[in-house]
Amino acid sequence: MNNTPLVQLENVSRIYQQGKLQVAAVTDFSLEVQCGEFSVLCGPSGSGKTTILNLIGALDEPSQGRVLLEGRDLAQLGRSDLARLRRDRIGFVFQSYNLNPVLTACENAEFVLALQNIPHAQRRQRVMAVLAEVGMAELAERRPDELSGGQQQRVAIARAIVSRPAIVLADEPTANVDSATAAAILELMERLNHEQGVTFLFSTHDQRVMDRAHRLIHLRDGRLERDEVRG
Amino acid sequence: MQLGTMAWRTLMRNKRRSVITAFSVGFGVLLSVTFTASGDYAYTNMINTSAVMGLGHLSVEHPDFRDTPTLDKRLVDAEAVQQRVLQISGVTGALVRIMGQAMFASGAKSVGGAFIAIDPAQETPAHNIFLRTLIEGQCFSAGEDRGVVVGAKMAEKLNLRLGKKLIFTMTDKNGELVSELGRVSGIFRTGDDSVDGGVVLLPLDLVRKALGYEPTAASLVAIFLEDHRAAKTIQGDLAQLWSRSKEITVLTWQESQADLAGLIAVDQLFNYLLQFLVGLVIAAGIMNTLLMSVMERQREFGIMMALGMMPGQVVRLVLLESCWLGILGLALGVVITTPWFLYMTRIGLDFSGQIGTDYSAGGVLIDPVMKFRLYRESAMWIAWAVFFLTIVAAIFPAFKAGRMTPVENLKQG
Repeated sequence: MNNTPLVQLENVSRIYQQGKLQVAAVTDFSLEVQCGEFSVLCGPSGSGKTTILNLIGALDEPSQGRVLLEGRDLAQLGRSDLARLRRDRIGFVFQSYNLNPVLTACENAEFVLALQNIPHAQRRQRVMAVLAEVGMAELAERRPDELSGGQQQRVAIARAIVSRPAIVLADEPTANVDSATAAAILELMERLNHEQGVTFLFSTHDQRVMDRAHRLIHLRDGRLERDEVRG
Repeated sequence: MQLGTMAWRTLMRNKRRSVITAFSVGFGVLLSVTFTASGDYAYTNMINTSAVMGLGHLSVEHPDFRDTPTLDKRLVDAEAVQQRVLQISGVTGALVRIMGQAMFASGAKSVGGAFIAIDPAQETPAHNIFLRTLIEGQCFSAGEDRGVVVGAKMAEKLNLRLGKKLIFTMTDKNGELVSELGRVSGIFRTGDDSVDGGVVLLPLDLVRKALGYEPTAASLVAIFLEDHRAAKTIQGDLAQLWSRSKEITVLTWQESQADLAGLIAVDQLFNYLLQFLVGLVIAAGIMNTLLMSVMERQREFGIMMALGMMPGQVVRLVLLESCWLGILGLALGVVITTPWFLYMTRIGLDFSGQIGTDYSAGGVLIDPVMKFRLYRESAMWIAWAVFFLTIVAAIFPAFKAGRMTPVENLKQG
């Protein structure tokens, strides 16, 4: 059995240059995430949650330390390999949905599959199944501007899970939706985690999300404050 | 979802901006068609006019005749050459002629000039501008062995009228001076004083006899083509045909009328330069539009990259948007250019009030009515050039979009 953690961050620091100033977004941070987790990075604004998600998601590079995904050191991969890794192994859910406005819900959801060159008929079938899963099959042909915030976030979740990634990184997924929609979205993610074993890592300061998490990784000023695993 | 469809939809997101940019491309098409089609018409007109002034689109002659055009250099069996040439596809006429210098004298005066000895049985106005521009009398007939046709200016200088005598003196094939007498049967006016005052048409048989030529000899065979652009190809075919003969050479109109060819080449160069500059201005506009579009969508590119889109695919997406812009611009260009093109093809703009009706360049009369004629290859060239410029204009915005890292893009917007 392979015991390699899905995600490993080893003494990671990320320092940004802002004019003449150096700003440390994350300092000497280490973390391991196992398959099937439903974990939350929590902390106040500016605590480094999004930076950590960006580092795990191969969107950004650490200034120091190593980030490994399924045992692969991301620093060893080129731009194209990183793009392939994001396409095949990582799903993203963003705070403001970020659906492509010129694509329908269905086309947005199948975007990653199209990048993977999966034949049209096959990807349509998979996308429709996932859209049904998130309750959006009826609205598959609508464009984002014809959908509510909650509906757009459901499509974004469908887009994130349709390629069956190793991990879904969700940056403040409930920040822009009302309570009822937030609850529905969280239920959906929980179900996907429970039934399909999809690994989720959230960044949030929404108490409703934290309440449902199996593990809370508390951050403060770019450092690990507390790692709390729940039953 | 194909990138092409996505590119089109993205372009249509900001319809007004895209349509305005496409119109600027379309305007570029209009300008390019105007420059190119007026050039195609004017050059074709000049070349064809020049051809019917004596030498044709191609001329078969003795290899030394062009450099030292004395009358001892001749094609001994010009008639056989003529018959062979007439069998070639694309040739609309081949005429045996003797061309040279002579002194022309009347009872009043004498002047130097050029003569073209022609066979009246074979010559037609279509291939001979002087027969087309007769203002008095007619061309001498086949049986009329002493008829001559003179230009109006020469008639004026020598005080000639129809039926009057004209004595012409030339050097024969042995270098001896010979003179013959003719009678004016017709007077032409092309509008170009240098031509009207210096060219005389003489009967071929009379000149042959005077020069001591063989019955089938002549100084050249002027060849007329359906399309002057075929001159090089047909020259190659004919040169191959007579590759063993040291007495025959074939010249294109560019070689036999180097002044005209040079004039057209220089004019074409300026025409292309002007079009290139117009193209640059339009390309700068397209680049500006695409750059704005790319800058506005940086976050969107960041999302697409986060989802796994390769930098190369981002570049391709922007280039495809530019392709669509080019296609849209070309389509709009066709729409706005067609009425103008049709008007200029059928009616044209008459500049005779400004340049007169006798304006000539490179020894050729210029048509004062500016019209359009667009060859298929010119139209293809315009389409490709416009398309190419549109793509070139997109290269910088496309690479800018693809060069940024996902996280840089995501921080925007």
